[in-house]
Amino acid sequence: MAKTSSTTKDAQDLFHAIWSAYSATPTNLKIIDLYVVFAVFTALLQVVYMALVGTFPFNSFLSGVLSCVGTAVLAVCLRIQVNKENKEFKDLAPERAFADFVLCNLVLHLVIMNFLG
Amino acid sequence: MAKLIFLILTLIPILCTSFSPDKPSDRRILVLVDDFAVKSSHSLYFKSLQSRGFDLDFKLADDPKIALQRYGQYLYDGLVLFSPTIERFGGSIDAAAILDFVDSGHDLIVAADNNASDLIREIATECGVDFDEDYTAMVVDHAGYAVSSTEGDHTLIASDDFIKSDVILGSKKIEAPVLFQGIGHSLNPSNRLVLKVLSASPTAFSANPKSKLTSPPSLLGSSISLVSVIQARNNARILISGSLSMFSNRFFNSGVQKAGSPTKHDKSGNEQFLTELSKWVLHERGHLKAVNVKHHKVGETDEPSIYRINDDLEYSVEIYEWSGTTWEPYVADDVQVQFYMMSPYVLKNLANDKKGHYFTSFKVPDVYGVFQFKVEYNRLGYTSLSLAKQIPVRPFRHNEYERFIPAAYPYYGAAFSMMAGFFVFSAVHLYNK
Repeated sequence: MAKTSSTTKDAQDLFHAIWSAYSATPTNLKIIDLYVVFAVFTALLQVVYMALVGTFPFNSFLSGVLSCVGTAVLAVCLRIQVNKENKEFKDLAPERAFADFVLCNLVLHLVIMNFLG
Repeated sequence: MAKLIFLILTLIPILCTSFSPDKPSDRRILVLVDDFAVKSSHSLYFKSLQSRGFDLDFKLADDPKIALQRYGQYLYDGLVLFSPTIERFGGSIDAAAILDFVDSGHDLIVAADNNASDLIREIATECGVDFDEDYTAMVVDHAGYAVSSTEGDHTLIASDDFIKSDVILGSKKIEAPVLFQGIGHSLNPSNRLVLKVLSASPTAFSANPKSKLTSPPSLLGSSISLVSVIQARNNARILISGSLSMFSNRFFNSGVQKAGSPTKHDKSGNEQFLTELSKWVLHERGHLKAVNVKHHKVGETDEPSIYRINDDLEYSVEIYEWSGTTWEPYVADDVQVQFYMMSPYVLKNLANDKKGHYFTSFKVPDVYGVFQFKVEYNRLGYTSLSLAKQIPVRPFRHNEYERFIPAAYPYYGAAFSMMAGFFVFSAVHLYNK
């Protein structure tokens, strides 16, 4: 019993440590994270729906899920590039990174609309 | 002179009809005999042919002037070989010429005898029929012989073991047994086109009737064929008989009583059997043609150049049988159409309206590629029908798929919410500085 409570406490400590560390993240990165979570959650919701009603409009399912996944991937790319602590992209202006992100999103949604059926 | 031109002009239409491919019956027949005595001794058989409109041309088999073709055109539509002893034909005819004649779709009637020559045997072997190799052998049947006033050697046999096919032997049952005196043959087992029309009884055997039987005969029982027919793949028909005398007036007219049977028939079955068989061999019966192959989508009449998967289509074909004078509707319920690409994807029985029109409808399978409509109709005694018509099948076009499916609304919603999310996020991202 004592061991279990100590495990729970460890987990709580760990969670608090992570949360306090994450709180230090700049707000613009937090917004991106929220956006990624929204996209992944929508993708999961569709997978559950597909498991319930079947695969029939399979192209629609694929485009729905892939639009979420693609959005999440592009947002993560943006996050890497606008992160100040990431030295790899220190020469790249955040405006340029955002422009890339917008362009890629336009292409992605064009393809998705084409495939949605 | 004017009279002659007028005569030629009036003859032209008559001559033209004789070349019409629409009339499959043979018209001109060359009859090769050993001796012109056959012409009178077998006159009943020849008369029955002439009365049905055949033009018989009698020639001695060793006549040096006989020829089957001139300038690449065949002079005859059929050939009757009533010359069992001929060793060498006159003129340009040899075994190869006769086989070429058959290969080009013409018909052949061969009658052998107990002194059949090597040439006749060679022709028969090429057609898938092997006469007994013992030159002295005849078919002997000590149980199924025809009763006669003299005891004899039982080589005159009465046979009633016919092939069960109305199209080959006519719909009227042959009551009296058929008299046969001659040599037996066996069918080449590798030849699937040759049919035994009249087979010997199980007690028959093939041996020299004059000498004592020392070794077992090579041909025994009902495996001996007395009369056989072959329908080649090009629908040429061949009749091979081991007896010339069965065609003779004497056998046609004589009464027959089979040994062990109490009934005595006044007239043998030879005339009916051989007349009906000659109708089949000379294409007056069992010759089919298929015309007007049509297919179209349900509700349309024009034939499309391509189908889409899952289209509903209708297929129809007309099948007629030649009756000797006219094309009669062919009625059968076993004609099938295949929708074929490497293997049949659809196999359907065709319905018919008893007027020769066969039709069905089916759905194109959910597979695209180059398909064929195929009708392969092979029935005993009938000419084989083989129709194939190629048609491509395409998948749905990009704009032919179903749209706005209710079950897909959540996916649409997800895709649009991602777009809306993109706008909202962009705004927040830009102004959060």
